[in-house]
Amino acid sequence: MIRSTSLAVGLAVLGVVFIVIAALYAFGVLQILVSDPNSPHHYTHMILFIVLAVASFVAANFARPKTV
Amino acid sequence: MGLLQGATELFPVSSLGHAVLVPSLLHWSFKQSDPAFVPFLVLLHLGTAAALLTLYRTQWVQIIRGFFTAAVRGRITNDSERLAMLLMTGTIPAAILGVFLENRIKSLFASPYAAAGLLVANGGLMLGAELLRRRTERRVQAASLSRIEQEERFNDAAHISFAAAALVGACQALAFLPGISRSGVTIGGGLLAGLRHQESARFSFLLATPVILGAALIEIPQLLNAGVPVVEFAAAAVLAGVAAYLSARFLLRYFRSGRLDPYGWYCVAAGLVSLALLHFGL
Repeated sequence: MIRSTSLAVGLAVLGVVFIVIAALYAFGVLQILVSDPNSPHHYTHMILFIVLAVASFVAANFARPKTV
Repeated sequence: MGLLQGATELFPVSSLGHAVLVPSLLHWSFKQSDPAFVPFLVLLHLGTAAALLTLYRTQWVQIIRGFFTAAVRGRITNDSERLAMLLMTGTIPAAILGVFLENRIKSLFASPYAAAGLLVANGGLMLGAELLRRRTERRVQAASLSRIEQEERFNDAAHISFAAAALVGACQALAFLPGISRSGVTIGGGLLAGLRHQESARFSFLLATPVILGAALIEIPQLLNAGVPVVEFAAAAVLAGVAAYLSARFLLRYFRSGRLDPYGWYCVAAGLVSLALLHFGL
């Protein structure tokens, strides 16, 4: 696996972006690719983006250069 | 329906395809257009997921522990941690495609004719995967060995590459097409990635568990809202779980030396017979 600080930071930022998107879906602000545009909340999409955020943070931790 | 779904979910013969085809062919009164149809199927999936969790309960404990250990440490040190990360890598593409495309794909191909045609395609995919596997066996000079010895030349699930895990995971999205089997395409994908048959089946079952469980948990509130007979549906889910547990035990034993060919030929034959029956209105 490639280890670099810039990659780790990039993945962490991506994780934050995913959390923001998850919140936007949860509050019904984002309506992109949803099955029911009339629904006020899109919890399925919210859960997906939370999972993606967790995966991004895990990947960021893997990409972080280790001292040992 | 519970027994049918549970048995066909893990056998590589497409549970969704059978769930669309069998009621049509047998003229069952179950309406596929009913709003409770998909939540009902999802509840049956919950039974299947419970069966898989029971079957692999010890491994799941190790996998979950391995996930958190590796995630915090930022390094993989054993097979359980690697398997946990492989499962996460394989689940993400399936989850993305499932959330954004599942309803669109299902609505496009929800007819019995499409299910029958895709069942034939499913059989073709599995037979193709076995054909490519036999070529690989010839290349590694394993063709003359016994089946058990041949299988020993290939990898276990924890040693698949991360790219292959992502690809096998993405293949699960094909199972949104009624007639295409989730376990069929993932076991076939695992074979192409160099896994032993039994390990490919194990990886397929482990990979399916979070997706099936997640989809089921999300749909359950809809099932309760639809005003459907929950007790009857729950009984069907229990039957599905029992059938799935027995199916998984059988398949893991079968794939010690067995291949996908019989299931491939079954799908081709069942798809063609179904097409004929539907065409002639029998």
